Amino acid sequence: MAAGKGRIGFLVNPIAGMGGPVGLKGTDGLAEEAIAMGARPRAMERARACLDLLSKERDAILFFTASGSMGESCLEECGLDYKVVYSALPVTSSRDTIRTCQAFLDEGVDLILFCGGDGTARDVAGIAGSTPILAIPAGVKMHSGVFAASPQAAADLVIRFLNGELNLRDTEIVDVDEELYRAGILQTKLYALAKTPYLPVLVAERKRIYSSDQEDEFKDQIALFASEFMRDGSAYIIGAGTTTSRIADILGLEKTLLGVDVVKDGRLMITDASEQDLLELLDRETRVMIIISPIGAQGFILGRGNQQLSAEVIRRVGIDKLIIISTPHKLAEIPYLLVDTGDEDLDESLAGKRQVVTGYRIAQMKDTLAASRL
Amino acid sequence: MKIKYLLDEEEIPKKWYNVAADMPTPLKPPLNPGTLKPLTAQDMEAIFPKALIQQEMSTERWIDIPEEVREILKLWRPTPLYRAASLEKALKTPAKIYYKYEGVSPAGSHKPNTAIPQAYYNMKEGIERLATETGAGQWGSALSLATCLFGLQCTVYMVRSSFDSKPYRKSAMRVWGAECLSSPSDRTNFGRQIREKMPDTPGSLGIAISEAVEDAASHDNTNYSLGSVLNHVLLHQTIEGQELKKQFDMTEDYPDVMFGCCGGGSNFPGMVFPFIPDKLKDKKDLRMVACEPTACPTLTEGLFAYDYGDTAGMAPVIMMYTLGHDFIPPGIHAGGLRYHGDAPLLSNLVHDGLIEATALQQTEVFEAATLFARTEGIIPAPESAHAIKPAIDEALNCRKTGEEKVIFISLSGHGHFDLSSYDAYNDGKLVDYVYPAELVKQSLAKLPKP
Repeated sequence: MAAGKGRIGFLVNPIAGMGGPVGLKGTDGLAEEAIAMGARPRAMERARACLDLLSKERDAILFFTASGSMGESCLEECGLDYKVVYSALPVTSSRDTIRTCQAFLDEGVDLILFCGGDGTARDVAGIAGSTPILAIPAGVKMHSGVFAASPQAAADLVIRFLNGELNLRDTEIVDVDEELYRAGILQTKLYALAKTPYLPVLVAERKRIYSSDQEDEFKDQIALFASEFMRDGSAYIIGAGTTTSRIADILGLEKTLLGVDVVKDGRLMITDASEQDLLELLDRETRVMIIISPIGAQGFILGRGNQQLSAEVIRRVGIDKLIIISTPHKLAEIPYLLVDTGDEDLDESLAGKRQVVTGYRIAQMKDTLAASRL
Repeated sequence: MKIKYLLDEEEIPKKWYNVAADMPTPLKPPLNPGTLKPLTAQDMEAIFPKALIQQEMSTERWIDIPEEVREILKLWRPTPLYRAASLEKALKTPAKIYYKYEGVSPAGSHKPNTAIPQAYYNMKEGIERLATETGAGQWGSALSLATCLFGLQCTVYMVRSSFDSKPYRKSAMRVWGAECLSSPSDRTNFGRQIREKMPDTPGSLGIAISEAVEDAASHDNTNYSLGSVLNHVLLHQTIEGQELKKQFDMTEDYPDVMFGCCGGGSNFPGMVFPFIPDKLKDKKDLRMVACEPTACPTLTEGLFAYDYGDTAGMAPVIMMYTLGHDFIPPGIHAGGLRYHGDAPLLSNLVHDGLIEATALQQTEVFEAATLFARTEGIIPAPESAHAIKPAIDEALNCRKTGEEKVIFISLSGHGHFDLSSYDAYNDGKLVDYVYPAELVKQSLAKLPKP
């Protein structure tokens, strides 16, 4: 590593990602609700997974951070050198994020490393200016281009960045447009541009939504095929996205675009299901299958936007009961499918060549990787 | 080591072998698509010459090859049998690998073996023009050559996507005097209908067949011609297997396993059918394996059932392995293997357990083809390469077991018109398609009955 210590601003949004498993479309302003619904904090855990790997470079990095759960406690646990530059209130908010980042800039950090989702990315990018930012993925929605593919990949990027091995690129900070979403249209809105260190694959591409006529034709073909094989009497857990929601269209059902729904015998059993709903479903139903689609250009099929499909849900359904669907164009732009259920053993067993339905009675083979292996 | 086993011209067979005479289970009759009653000779006369209809329905074991046909076949037949010594060496296998190469024909594949007699019989019955379809262009080229040699005109309906992506196939057809049209064309009612409904369609073999059949049925001087599936096509191709038996006699070896690629069925059955009596009467322990793409795995995953031969439901309804006539296989590079059904004769023998089938993904097929080209020199057609991959696997298995098996590859054609597909492979752009068989079975289980 180059002479002199690398200066890294490190920030955790402790409530990020809590809404996912309980079926919320984000956690901003809903933390208490999420906790009441049984959500567990996961951002700290993912931050530690990244810091553990950085601890082998501890002599080369000086961290700047905010107090307590916003960074200090993780750094302390991992035995890293740090300086607290902002004192957060016990209940943190987006104002704390912004003020912490301002303090980082005052310290002249080389990189801001944060742990959260699209909401946190909006706050950080809003102030970072030309200072590069990189995110440890821990949110419910992660459509922006600053997210590393996994906490482990984030650590690798930080080390390579400090070694001068990476270039910087501009990337979009986006979030789902909530107004359009309420009107039933899934569209991401651009909020800011940011600089991020870049190595293809290790940083997840900004999520793309295709809308060409050809895409529509393939979605119709896939949905028609699905509507045929779904007549077998099983309960189908259907994940988020425009490809999966076309199945609901063809069955004449109202599907939640960003949520997980359950359909059986052509009828909607559960709308916008939480992890708990799915586990209860599995107590009642003997034959359950899951239909999911990779998320935009990132290639994640589990662990992004569908945290309700937890490791426990997947294990109980059975990994051979996972039906992956994607239009050929979208699949062509993804180097491989990624899984990040938070359970590394399960991710490993999901890895390998998997079949992806790409048309009417047509499928392709695609490599699937555990995100932690990247 | 002897590499090439060559026969004299006089050893070109004088009769075709008709496997229908030796089938343990007789064929079920083809049905008229309109009435669903057994097809009669009269039903077929609108588009086929009488001699071919007789062959189609015959159960005679041996059928004479006209001398005029044999004279033309001499241009490239007998085709060589090679010992793949370099490939064996590269694989470090104790197995012996042989391949018979049909790419030495003027059109570059086995297809002229039936195009020549088909053009001949049509010429003898006063037909002036043949209409046909072609997917990848192999069959269109072969029939263009054959009609040219017998002074007939030829109209080829070529699937639009191939017409655009394989320009040199249509150049070859033009040199041989044929007219090659992009299908759907404005020449037929069916083509015009499709163009109006779907102006940007890439076309399909189903559409092209329907156009060629309509052309033939609506012109008195014109007949239709098909390069696979039908009984008489498979009959004509048995000239390959009969030569091969003589060539194996020269080697003093006998195959343990034979591999050939299979789309609708023509080269593979032609090569293996003459060995069926050895298996039935002499109880030879010989495996015959049809090799198909995972994108269109008719024999390995299809149903054995009556189905339409074409997409539009105009062709006869035949008993065969099928993925359903409404299934349009994805655009793989082995365009010649994209057919939803399989020849009834072949299907019957697979159903009776005399012939096996296996399915391959296109990336592994191109990988095997590249090894073959780098050892044996010949660049195989992507279709033919489907037979190379499992043969290599068999030889590698022999390395483990120490068995000195005799492995045969039917190399049906060269890949000189398919180099853009090799480029796609080398650029890492091939997609491995598979047929989601389990989900399809699940979807068919509870289909509403019509």
